[in-house]
Amino acid sequence: MVALNHMSWEKEIQEIEKRKQLALLQGGESATAKQHKKGRLTIRERISALVDPGSFEELGLASGAASTDASGSLTSFEPANFLVGFGKVDGRRIVVGGEDFTMKGGSPSTAGLRKSIYAEDLALQYKVPLVRLHEGAGGSVGGSSGKATSTSDPVYSPPRFRSVAKAMGTVPVATAALGAVAGLPAGRLVASHFSVMSKATAQILTAGPAVVARAMGEQKSKEELGGWKVHTKNGTVDNGAEDEIACLNEIKKFLSYMPNNIHELAPRLNCDDPIDRKDPTLSTIVPRDRRKSFDMRLIINRIVDHSSFFEIGAGYGRSQITGLARLNGQPVGIWANDCKFLAGSMTADGADKARRFMELCELFSLPIVALVDEPGFMIGSQAEKESTIRRGTAAVLTAAMSTVPWASVMIRRSFGVAQAAHYGPDGYVIAWPSAESGPLPVEGGVAVAFQKEIAAAPDPEARRRELEQEFSARQSPFPRSESFGVHDIINPAETRPELCRWIDRVAALLPALLGSAQFHIRP
Amino acid sequence: MTKIALETAGSVWKVLVNVGDFVNVGTTMFVLEVMKMEVSYEAPREGTVTAIHIKEGDIVEEEQIAVEIEDGES
Repeated sequence: MVALNHMSWEKEIQEIEKRKQLALLQGGESATAKQHKKGRLTIRERISALVDPGSFEELGLASGAASTDASGSLTSFEPANFLVGFGKVDGRRIVVGGEDFTMKGGSPSTAGLRKSIYAEDLALQYKVPLVRLHEGAGGSVGGSSGKATSTSDPVYSPPRFRSVAKAMGTVPVATAALGAVAGLPAGRLVASHFSVMSKATAQILTAGPAVVARAMGEQKSKEELGGWKVHTKNGTVDNGAEDEIACLNEIKKFLSYMPNNIHELAPRLNCDDPIDRKDPTLSTIVPRDRRKSFDMRLIINRIVDHSSFFEIGAGYGRSQITGLARLNGQPVGIWANDCKFLAGSMTADGADKARRFMELCELFSLPIVALVDEPGFMIGSQAEKESTIRRGTAAVLTAAMSTVPWASVMIRRSFGVAQAAHYGPDGYVIAWPSAESGPLPVEGGVAVAFQKEIAAAPDPEARRRELEQEFSARQSPFPRSESFGVHDIINPAETRPELCRWIDRVAALLPALLGSAQFHIRP
Repeated sequence: MTKIALETAGSVWKVLVNVGDFVNVGTTMFVLEVMKMEVSYEAPREGTVTAIHIKEGDIVEEEQIAVEIEDGES
């Protein structure tokens, strides 16, 4: 054996290499095979599928637990079970992190927990979007060291969730649930601006079936407790996607509308959809019969830049439609009513969804386009139980304090207190000829206000119709446009050109909006 | 078998199919009235209507099963 040169670090360099090789094996071949057999990717495969090829710059590949023999030679190395680092998505830098489920089921090891918590700090420090890819169960009763007596953090440590909260106010945060996610990872999953879960592989659980059975006596599977059917309907996650790759594609799409942080504007792309494109379909899409519904998503897709509409939260608060899109290449928030679901009324969960969406636009300085067909707050005993009036009023006040540019297109109904949520301060307001507005929709309003008169008429039904006709004439957009109650009344076919001219006017105002968003206390 | 569940509460305004009818994808099976608006329910697949659990005038709840469709022709 050749004696080691005194100046050489060859032994250590070899050990670094050996540790790297062992770290890349993750939980080992059989754990990786098991992960694949369950139809799930490993964290390294997930990151590779998300970021531009070769762009992942990992931090802490060398962190983990090493064992050495008496001579100090490495006998084993178990890498930290959370990966974190930089990557690029469509050429733009992000921070990406996620649990490695092939080791300890993603339940954090000591170094894994440190890396996990660091993800938010890193995104805050570099002011770039954060993407978390979750599959893990959070802490176990033994703590991250696995021993019953673990050393706790110092009493003066900053709260662990402070950086989570700060990140949400500073950089875009997008997360995916790709396997079972419980405890701390579940809490972090929902602390995001956009979240998506894999229908094929993910469940989100505050606590898993065994804990639930013991504490509550309830026997439920993971899927029953926290599968996509539960969580895309209650708004825990925004979207459900078919599988892991589809989730990652949704995250990429979401980020394409986002700035890097609150101090920058979202990138404006070149637009190949003509900005003067008129669409005659829009002139006939709203039925004259008020009882008949129409397809609001069709309207959205025909107004915005071709194929640019990305819906967020389609499964919950379904009377409201929210999503991102582009107008002449400029990212905008789209908020519309869906009259096919509870007549498009402002339900409690619809109001929550709309409020969160307005906050997203406010935070990242995205102009809002509201396509208004609002019949008012949802009514009935269920609506009262859900505190629709309080949650709805929170949405109304959010709009009232908004500082981003708004364009509101009055498509059909605009009634009650709830309609106020669809108009921002200093907003640009245009009406379609089908627009109706007032304190109450004609049908319900007339029947109640003229109850006695209708009942006393020789033909009550005819009198009711007569009154309804009279009042609906008053709710028409023409008198409103005459008194400059709207900026204009337009041919619906011309909505896109109109909004493209508007976006060019307001784009110049956006730089002045950059920086922290101010949210006042709300009901 | 496919069970058609109601997406919202409301009242049944029209039932347009009978047990034994063959429906194609997109056939309107019934119409609810929800908040003064008509909401049509269309067949998501083709098949034979084997059961109808609603009738005109019923007040119905979210997630209630309204119609059942069986594969194949009657």
